[in-house]
Amino acid sequence: MMLSKSLALQVLNASLSTGGDYAEIYVEQTNSSSVSLENGKVETCGGSQSFGAGIRILKGLKSVYGYTSDLSAKSLLSLATKLAAGYEGERIITVEKIEKRTVKTINKIKERPIDVPEEKKIALLKECYEITSKVDPRIVRVQNAFACSNRDIEIYNAEGNIGNLYVNNEQRARMVFVALASENGQIESSYEGPGRYGEFSWFTDTLDYKKIAENVGKKAIMMLTAKECPSGRFPVVVGNGWGGVIFHEACGHSLEATATAKGLSVFANSIGEQIASPLVSAFDDGTLPNEWGSNNIDSEGHVTQNNQLIKDGICTGFLVDKFNGRRLNMEANGCSRRQNYRYEPTSRMSNTYIAAGKDNPEDIIKDTKLGIYVANFGGGSVEPTTGEFNFSASEAYIIRNGKICEPVKGCTLIGSGKEVLMNIDRVGNDVDMGQGNCGSASGSVPVNVGQPTIRISEITVGGRGGKLE
Amino acid sequence: MNFNKFFALAKERGISESQIQIGRSSSTSIKLYHGEIENLTISESQGVTACGIYNGKFGSARTDKLDKDTFEYLVSQIIVSASFSEKEGEAELFKGSEKYHKRNMYNPVLAETPLSEKIAKMHELEEVAFAYDKRISEVEEVDYEETTSSSEFYNSYGLKLKQKSNYFVYVIAVVAKEGEDVKTAYKVHLGDDFSKFDAKATVKTVCDEAIAKFGAAPCASKKYPTVLHSDIVASLAAYFLESASSDEVQRKSSFLIGKIGQKIASSKLTIEEKPLTKNIFFSYFDDEGVATYNKTIVKKGVLQGYFYNRETAKKDGVESTGNGQWAGSKIGIGFGNIFIKPGKKTFEEMISPIKEGVYITDIAGLGTGMNPQSGDFSCQAQGFMIRDGKVAEPLTLITISGNLLKLFSDLKEFSNRVELKNSSISVADAYIKKLSIGGK
Repeated sequence: MMLSKSLALQVLNASLSTGGDYAEIYVEQTNSSSVSLENGKVETCGGSQSFGAGIRILKGLKSVYGYTSDLSAKSLLSLATKLAAGYEGERIITVEKIEKRTVKTINKIKERPIDVPEEKKIALLKECYEITSKVDPRIVRVQNAFACSNRDIEIYNAEGNIGNLYVNNEQRARMVFVALASENGQIESSYEGPGRYGEFSWFTDTLDYKKIAENVGKKAIMMLTAKECPSGRFPVVVGNGWGGVIFHEACGHSLEATATAKGLSVFANSIGEQIASPLVSAFDDGTLPNEWGSNNIDSEGHVTQNNQLIKDGICTGFLVDKFNGRRLNMEANGCSRRQNYRYEPTSRMSNTYIAAGKDNPEDIIKDTKLGIYVANFGGGSVEPTTGEFNFSASEAYIIRNGKICEPVKGCTLIGSGKEVLMNIDRVGNDVDMGQGNCGSASGSVPVNVGQPTIRISEITVGGRGGKLE
Repeated sequence: MNFNKFFALAKERGISESQIQIGRSSSTSIKLYHGEIENLTISESQGVTACGIYNGKFGSARTDKLDKDTFEYLVSQIIVSASFSEKEGEAELFKGSEKYHKRNMYNPVLAETPLSEKIAKMHELEEVAFAYDKRISEVEEVDYEETTSSSEFYNSYGLKLKQKSNYFVYVIAVVAKEGEDVKTAYKVHLGDDFSKFDAKATVKTVCDEAIAKFGAAPCASKKYPTVLHSDIVASLAAYFLESASSDEVQRKSSFLIGKIGQKIASSKLTIEEKPLTKNIFFSYFDDEGVATYNKTIVKKGVLQGYFYNRETAKKDGVESTGNGQWAGSKIGIGFGNIFIKPGKKTFEEMISPIKEGVYITDIAGLGTGMNPQSGDFSCQAQGFMIRDGKVAEPLTLITISGNLLKLFSDLKEFSNRVELKNSSISVADAYIKKLSIGGK
């Protein structure tokens, strides 16, 4: 144990000395390792450690938070006392003992990726480099990396005489593929970053890394000849998997209690109301075994859940953390997350996706006369208060007469969450997921985004290519 | 901590040269909501980064766990890290510069000003904002944060460098509502002189901005004479300067390859890096221990040079420019305290000749909308039309797109309204002759 039960008990009691009604200690040690290759040669191979504790005290609708990387009794008790001084009042809770709670392991690991010898990781990355670099002589730079982390967590919390202890371990690993192509002074790049709450062997045995390595090279080359994307309003078909980032940004963030609790989100007070086309059902599921965004428990010790957010277009729930749940008068539902001990936890997404519909993806393209097919996005952002969002496509094509035609670059989709969700008029049957890191109030956390192929009947597309013809 | 023990252990394990840096930071941040302190965050953190040369290769490690095993962890990680390195050539650490321009940037007055005064200003911000206009429906955020940080640098050659600084930040975000129309605006103020913070002026700027956005709609898609608010210029300039990193140039990932001495932008563009400026971004040594100095990167549109660390400088046969900065487990390239030379006209004078144009005040999604290698960009934007030389109706859900080289070549002039941004760039509003705007 990183922190003894007896010290934790003292710290919890010091925290609750001024009338706090909930106290929590989040202790973390994360060992990370990464190897990166530049044009097939090892550029860096390094390790780092994150270590510390965060203390949080809630009192009604107020919170105080503090963190330190010094876990000595003196340091923790001093921090707890300083934080407690943020409130004025008499003690209402004395924690008498702490009981350890069982944490069910939904993400099973046989071999920790951090224990796999560097030689094996380097060999895999070199194989990927060989494939990408051979795609075309115009590939001028190839970057490959493998990064993994081993995180140990102890969460102590109390809101009554008996405190709780939750112990958890997380294992995450991610591979990075980057290719740069250059011709006549023009430079284009392409990226893939599959990730897993799991083992190294998944990358070698299950992931089709050879195909990814080849495609990343091909895509960079393709972008050299891509024309500028036209601008205006027209139908857009969004591919499955990483295409789900559109839902993550346009809707997911606005359904986090962080945004809805104070009524600041476009979807505040919208439970039971239609917020999307009846074709849309959506989930945030932190329990999918070994997915990149999954967890056994959240950062407050709650068991992760499969939360339905939208059913047939009707908003059915929010992502609720303990603190914002108080304002909403709703129970926390296992989605409170943080990057590390330096961040106070709040409601965040895990694996968020639009559920499968009935259409064949081919038919959706076939039924589109003139529009854009976005196969992949670079990413995007949203302002939850207005719901306005933007996404940059990293791979997009013109659709003409039901066929995918020439590639385009510099394509940005903009709109508002409300509008785009209502404008989804086709939903495919090919759900897939992609991996990313989502940055928000409590730092950067690993998330999956996902969806089947969908069509948005009309959306604003920004680009430099003039009119769509 | 006794760093000599680290150097001794490193030497004993065969690390020929070594370096260790310790960063400490303490901060207090407060969030106010509806007259009450909703959140208080206090932190004390530290981190150690070390590197060394093992069998001629560079290796590094980082931890924020400081205990009896720290040096053992760092030394063993440096050895692993160096053992797998396939970088060409013999690596070596820096012994020290001849002269350092040391300066104390810690402002004790800020630290000694009671927290209650700082909180009183937060109340003032919130109250003034709510009273400003009945359409201000919510003050979404009033935050105060104060940070003191220090860094120490030691190497096995006996070099010892230290610096310490403190600063504060106020953030205010408001929501304005008129019927169903909801608009937001926010403002960040950062500095180290508390007496210079004007709460009323800040509220006025942010509330006026939110209210002015009512009824915003997209404009017609076409190329317009475009004025970019200094915030936007700073974001774009940061990418432009990344391309001046010698590392990106040497890896063929920059649009500034082979352009030294050439005209790459309008003659109105002059960019200097002045790390020795007396402000909160002051820094007199880089992450390799090299003394920093002030320099011109672009002079009247002509590229003067790239940013170098020791490794890239060696490759090009030049000296490091003091721009070494940790990037993960290697020393990459960074820059700070960028000054872009302003123009002479006020904002109003500058826009007065524009018959029909666009004034961009906000952008979103540049992080993914920018291709840093080619300089092509496309992102979401908000702003106003400019009609007959004046700011006119508000715009939303539009996009701006272009190429950084083209954008700065099309620069007509800067206004004289300079602001220091939290990205450490000091810059004014820019008038671009033509920029592609996507709307309806």
